[in-house]
Amino acid sequence: MFRAEPLVKIRLHVLASEAADAALVLAHFGVYCPAQHAPEELSENPAEAYRETWLEAASRTAKLAEHCSISSPPNLPEGAEAPTLDDLEKLNDWLKEALSCCLAAYAGETRIAEEITHLDALQETLAKLEHLNVDLAYLLRSDGLLAVNIGSVPAGSLKRLGEALSMAGFLVSTFDTVADQVYAVVAGPRERHEEVRGLLAQAGWREMPIPPELRTHPQAAREWLIEERKRVAERSQAECLILDETRSRYRSGLDEARQVVELARPLAEAALLGVRGRGTLASLSGWIPRRRVAKLKTDLEARFHGHYWLDIEPAKSEEAATTPSLVHYPAWLTPFVPLVRSYGIPRYGEFDPTLPFAFTYLLLFGAMFGDIGHGGVIVILATLLYKRLGKVAWIGIAAGFVSMLFGLLYGSIFGFEDVIAPIWLSPLHNPTQVLSIAVIFGVGFITLTLLVNIRNRLFSGRVNEALFDSGGLAGLAFYIGAVGSIANLAGATTIAAPFWILASAGLVAVAIFKWVETKAGPGERTLVSAIETLETGTNLFANTLSFMRVAAFSLNHVALALAVFALASGLDAVGHWLTIALGNVVIIVLEGGIVAIQALRLMYYEGFSRFFSGDGIPFVPLKLMDAK
Amino acid sequence: MHAYLNTRVSLFAGRLWQPADYDALLDADEAGVAGVLTDRGLPQLATGFAGRDSRSLEQILIAQLINETNVLIRPLSGDQRNFLLFWTGRFEISNVKTLLRGKMTGERPAALLSRLTPMGAFGRLDMQELAHTEDMNELFRRLEAGPYASIVRPAQRAFAETHDPFLLDAALDRGFYEGLEQRALPLESAAGASFRRLMGALIDRINLVWLLRYRFNYGLPPAQVYYLLMASRYSLPASQLRRLAALDTLEAVLEALPEPLHGLLQGVTGIAEVYNRLERSAAEEARKVLHSGSPAISRAFAYLLLRWRELRSVRAVLRGRHLDLPTAKILLAMYDAGAGRA
Repeated sequence: MFRAEPLVKIRLHVLASEAADAALVLAHFGVYCPAQHAPEELSENPAEAYRETWLEAASRTAKLAEHCSISSPPNLPEGAEAPTLDDLEKLNDWLKEALSCCLAAYAGETRIAEEITHLDALQETLAKLEHLNVDLAYLLRSDGLLAVNIGSVPAGSLKRLGEALSMAGFLVSTFDTVADQVYAVVAGPRERHEEVRGLLAQAGWREMPIPPELRTHPQAAREWLIEERKRVAERSQAECLILDETRSRYRSGLDEARQVVELARPLAEAALLGVRGRGTLASLSGWIPRRRVAKLKTDLEARFHGHYWLDIEPAKSEEAATTPSLVHYPAWLTPFVPLVRSYGIPRYGEFDPTLPFAFTYLLLFGAMFGDIGHGGVIVILATLLYKRLGKVAWIGIAAGFVSMLFGLLYGSIFGFEDVIAPIWLSPLHNPTQVLSIAVIFGVGFITLTLLVNIRNRLFSGRVNEALFDSGGLAGLAFYIGAVGSIANLAGATTIAAPFWILASAGLVAVAIFKWVETKAGPGERTLVSAIETLETGTNLFANTLSFMRVAAFSLNHVALALAVFALASGLDAVGHWLTIALGNVVIIVLEGGIVAIQALRLMYYEGFSRFFSGDGIPFVPLKLMDAK
Repeated sequence: MHAYLNTRVSLFAGRLWQPADYDALLDADEAGVAGVLTDRGLPQLATGFAGRDSRSLEQILIAQLINETNVLIRPLSGDQRNFLLFWTGRFEISNVKTLLRGKMTGERPAALLSRLTPMGAFGRLDMQELAHTEDMNELFRRLEAGPYASIVRPAQRAFAETHDPFLLDAALDRGFYEGLEQRALPLESAAGASFRRLMGALIDRINLVWLLRYRFNYGLPPAQVYYLLMASRYSLPASQLRRLAALDTLEAVLEALPEPLHGLLQGVTGIAEVYNRLERSAAEEARKVLHSGSPAISRAFAYLLLRWRELRSVRAVLRGRHLDLPTAKILLAMYDAGAGRA
């Protein structure tokens, strides 16, 4: 829980023809994270073609599944083997054909919809042309001096099309608009008609075929339109049948295809990082937990009966930056994991701060927002919103309970300080004490972060930094010494000399370390080490004083409630209670939000920034999506 | 915010190559090329430059420009940010063209993906998904549901009616530059004359070169040529473009150009030379804006224009060297690319 599980590096050598099955075994194993550390001699990528084919097949399978409204993962049969490249290519060809049929059926449906729109427009055209009293037969005759086009064009192209047509002596006149299509008549000299054909096509012009019936008698045209609609409706039914038939024809094949694609996934995904080879040999490399080595050997033995070679090598501390982090959390801690991950992933071997984060975050929130009533409201709201918020709601519930606990300690309920007696102390009546406690908490918190930092540096082999840097043992000595000296000056302790000596020794050690570490001329070295040493002191104390905000917010909480009561006191009974209710809503929403952010800020900047690099690599295991 | 951007632009401007830098690259022996590139701020090109094919070289150059644009847009917001984001989108439009051509020829997704330019943080399209579409229809459908719908839709209509890849490319280019003009409009009033001059030089150059190519290389009729040009509000507005498109010879078009274009193109005999002169003139204008006290966004845009021109020159030199061309030919190639030292 406090650090990533110890991992070992594996290299599994098998025959290239069995690479897909080896990847499948590793995926069933469940905790294999592919990574590239195969020997340099294995310079080929034997799974590249496999991955390319799989990507195509997976994309087609997903589209077909969408067409057939299938969303659940496939049911993988026990003991199923991974497909070979040949199998996968055959499947891909079948999927291509199936998808083409589905797309063709879909295109048929789209065409029908377009035809219906077209018939609607034609009907409207007919109505409009009737009013115009135009003899269409005369207008559209092919031997006239005037060339006429009737059709539609995207509205955005109309202006420019009109300007361009005018250059060829053509006019454009619109008579209807449907959605983003403008229906228009284009007319001009017949001898220049060829010249504008390319232009019209470029502008996306769609000619409206005017049937001979429309050119003769309006009644005949209407009858023609009714007949056309019947015909389109019949075609629509036929297209629906085709689509249904296509779906049912391919459905059983699709189920099998989804299984095959899923069984091929492990090698295809591992191919991105962890598969290398040469000739007939393939090597799958990656990371697994040390405690699962025996289980992996058993699984491999069961499948390959000794026809494999497994290299195992423990993770080295100098490889921490490239080793993935696998951390297990108890279920109750998982809602806090995203808050830590939003800062970063713990590096392999680094202290994982999720557990202390959860406790300290709740503690800080409760201390800054201690109120039985307000905490209760947060608990109720988080519970009511559980379905929408998911696991995050647990943070709200826990924060609400801690807020209620501090409300009991402070004797505060909906801002009223005199309803129940405080079990511990009232911030309003003991501000100095509250500020002192906040600073003491800050000292403890920063000391803890420095200790964790020392441990992290020692683990990663940076011993000098762990001992002498400002965030190391020397910095800690300076900090404890300086805090003790200030406590002595404030009269909190009688011990003086040991603290001064400790602080001075720590500071000198940090200064020497900075001077040694700085690679520059003597002047720049002195300047840099002086400034960085000074910064060590100022930073540590500024960060400690930052914790005064915990006390400030607990006082602020009371002050806001007092302001609400002052506003309410001048009003009648209804106004009084209405103001108090609204004031409490404002306090919960506004101050609650600010306190939640401030607690997070304290954790990130005064805590994590001191010891947590957050540049770890997540352990992403190779997995199968199985309905079971 | 503007002080930060101005400082950034000034720092970047200090890295722009001088004629002597090109000479150093041309004169360096094979072992020294990597050093020249590293010393002059292009370390990414220094590794394995010789073995690279032209496509991966182009990808590295674009990645370099995208990284620098990323730094420049960091302090920007609103219209200024939108403009530079859209300007960088031209590489993504180029990817769209590659995808469409790939689908026309039935290219496999993996091969297609390897030819696309990685857009990094500027990528707005899911290239994996687009490359795995079954055909042009599906690709168009997905593109029309994406961020470039307004550019793709007219192009799709044009292609559906003509099935002409040339007209498809022309429609995509026109859609992109008209989008750029729209986004430049609010900046022209806010950032003033310097920004307008940069945009004017860019749009006028593109419009005039397109006009000449469509009219005299491809022999399109005047009305169609005019339709394929951008609606411009600079030196060549719509009325002027209509008049020019109706003329029958290159000489007549050049003669009918308004000043300053007429003076600038005196004595030009071919379309390539028109492009080169206008390119150099635009670069000169960008250099003036970059080294002036113009608003930060104008200077940033000027820098990006100059930087891309410079990167193209470096590419011309590296490719020339790779093909063992004599220096004179490499210089000519740089000149023909409109990116030469002049």
